[in-house]
Amino acid sequence: MKLNVVKQRGTWWFVSGLLILASIAGMALSWAQFNGPVRPGLDFIGGTRLQLERSCTDVSACTDPIDIADIRAILDEQELEGSSLQLIGDSGQAVSIRTRTLTVDEQATLRSALEGYLGQVDPTASKIDVVGPTIGRQLLVAGLLSLLVAFAGITVYLSLRFKFDYALLALVALLHDVIITLGVFSILGLTAGYEADSLFIVALLTIVGFSVNDTVVIYDRIRENFKRMAERSVNDVVSDAVNQTLGRSINTTMTTVLPLVAIVIFGGDTLKFFALALIVGFLAGAYSSIFIASTLLAWWRSMSSSDAEMSPATE
Amino acid sequence: MGKQRSMLVVIVGLAIAAIFTIVQLPTQLGLDLRGGSQLTLQVLTNEQVTQISERELEAVQRVIENRVNGLGVSEAIVQSSGQDQLLIQLPGVSDPGQAQRVLGGTAQLEFRAQKPGTEGELRAISDVINQQEVQQASILAVGNENISDEQLAELEKVTADLQASRETLLDLFDGSELTGDKLRDALASPLGTSGQSWQVSIYFNNEGGSLFTEMTRNIAGTGRVLGIFLDDRLISAPTVDVQYAATGIPGGSATISGNFNADAARDLEIQLRGGALPVPVEVVENRTVGATLGRDSIQRSLYAGIAGLALVLVFMAVYYRLPGILADIALVVYALLTWAAYNILGVTMTLPGIAGFILSIGMAVDANVLIFERTREELRAGKTLYRSVESGFYRAFSSILDSNVTTIIACAALFWFGAGLVKGFALTLAVGVAVSLFTAFTCTRNLLFFIISFPQFRKVDYFAPSLTTDLPSTSQPS
Repeated sequence: MKLNVVKQRGTWWFVSGLLILASIAGMALSWAQFNGPVRPGLDFIGGTRLQLERSCTDVSACTDPIDIADIRAILDEQELEGSSLQLIGDSGQAVSIRTRTLTVDEQATLRSALEGYLGQVDPTASKIDVVGPTIGRQLLVAGLLSLLVAFAGITVYLSLRFKFDYALLALVALLHDVIITLGVFSILGLTAGYEADSLFIVALLTIVGFSVNDTVVIYDRIRENFKRMAERSVNDVVSDAVNQTLGRSINTTMTTVLPLVAIVIFGGDTLKFFALALIVGFLAGAYSSIFIASTLLAWWRSMSSSDAEMSPATE
Repeated sequence: MGKQRSMLVVIVGLAIAAIFTIVQLPTQLGLDLRGGSQLTLQVLTNEQVTQISERELEAVQRVIENRVNGLGVSEAIVQSSGQDQLLIQLPGVSDPGQAQRVLGGTAQLEFRAQKPGTEGELRAISDVINQQEVQQASILAVGNENISDEQLAELEKVTADLQASRETLLDLFDGSELTGDKLRDALASPLGTSGQSWQVSIYFNNEGGSLFTEMTRNIAGTGRVLGIFLDDRLISAPTVDVQYAATGIPGGSATISGNFNADAARDLEIQLRGGALPVPVEVVENRTVGATLGRDSIQRSLYAGIAGLALVLVFMAVYYRLPGILADIALVVYALLTWAAYNILGVTMTLPGIAGFILSIGMAVDANVLIFERTREELRAGKTLYRSVESGFYRAFSSILDSNVTTIIACAALFWFGAGLVKGFALTLAVGVAVSLFTAFTCTRNLLFFIISFPQFRKVDYFAPSLTTDLPSTSQPS
């Protein structure tokens, strides 16, 4: 099988364009509703989250699942109407409640009211997160800053190792992956109640690191082919490079995505969405490296060489 | 092939050393995995201290350390973070509320004698304060969500009035030199047998003891009260009996029996023992995970990750044949070396850290995939097996280097700017990538050259099944 990526670039660009437009639309909707491109979670806007699980040493205490309506009634009594509620676990014996930032006393009152309803609570299986609004901002700023610095660092390195135009186009491919991941999760936030936490920023950064890998491997091959086959057209060189690295691109993506899929299906709740974000980003990254970064480079090189009426760059 | 053989001996030695390290040096687990509280304290400024310098932060840290010790948590960590924050880790704490209460209070204790001739004023202002406190509490009970604008304005006014009243009250007392830093110890105990009401006994040091004696002598029998203030709020106002008018209360100890329940009394005990904070602090972040909850999530994710990796190993062996099997061995060595490196470097394993580890294994696989794909290409181009393997490694090197360096750049960005969990992830991934560079070019390489030094393994079929070469004449092995 030989793939002529350059010839069919209209198709690839159209698909990506469509995905990016859909992602931007999702982010815009999310912005209108939640004030963020992806529904921001506790980590970024602050608040208190309480996760309590019934102690089941006495089995009879755990026969009925927790009734969300009862918990809501307790929250209403505590004047915490706007809070979000979620049952956790397979047998519905644990509940997670997110409220505004509570003071220590408010927390204690809420806890004792809930324990009054739930009965004995297992302290080793509970979880409390309190994030002040300033910390939320700090986390967000730190996350975005590291994203920007990573972009800049990668661009500088690629400019040194390759050429500036390679670096810039690799950056375009990276933005493509980040935007699509953001888009998918903005839609998950709108439909499935997903809330981005600091792990989401970690996921974005990992995607950046990995998808630039894919692009670099292909660019590396293009550069090598340019050296060896200076007489051939840019399009052929690029197309060849993509085909030569196609097996590697597919296999590597598969071997990385495989453990992640296992985590999504069988892993603990905390890592599920993290792994899902990585899967989306890695797939987008593989796609953009094979179909976008390469064709953009071919297009750019043939444009600039025909402008200057020179033979293809031989770097 | 002596060189390969000795390299292999080195690699086997490293692997054994890694196993030994893993057994001897246990992995440090983060609080999200073993359970515990992590609090972030923001150090605030007040009227006296308008800027937080290193000195203030250090002073605060010392007091907080004392209080943490008072909580009786083993392996607790208090460290500064940034210019004006403290990070506190309390493994195995089950009541995060207590930590938050105890660590957050300034706990400036002061004994002040009432000024002469202010008895009437004191009674009046105390009534006003009581009233205002009731009023404030009733508005607060409405809750943030459905509070009306009028109530909000009212709340602001009451709070301001209350502040003013408290200051007025404070003016009715003399200044004091007898403060919390002149204590030797503090002890909470129940008052009477019911257990409903508690008291806190305090023991002064020599200087504090004589100040206390002097102060009680001055006001004994006058009907004036001894005001005990905690953070400028009057918590107790006893009178001193006339019998002490000549001597003062000797013995250097006193008992505060304000309106304490058991928790409040114990909190005050710890705070008084730890000393007062020079500036106020605020708990801006608290993350508490129960011990079994952490263990459950680590186990499930770890099993899932291991199952996925097992599939990857199978895939490598099936798809890449002999080199795939060797790469699998190299990957196991890789995992051992990386794990040992984490333990030696003292990396704290958190949930994102595990994710970083699993991903770094993905990177390690990628290096092998790159090399084998390249080897196959060279075989397809009609080169001999030995030369194909050699140029496979040689040609894949620049790709592997570039792709790993870009990943390390991303990790560095995460590590410098990220916080807590993010840092753990960056560190595990970066260490993993560095080790994977090593194993791909030593372990896989030497294993591969070692194995093809045996003629029986030197079959192209073991490397690339049903290979069709681009050139017609060269399909036989070297």
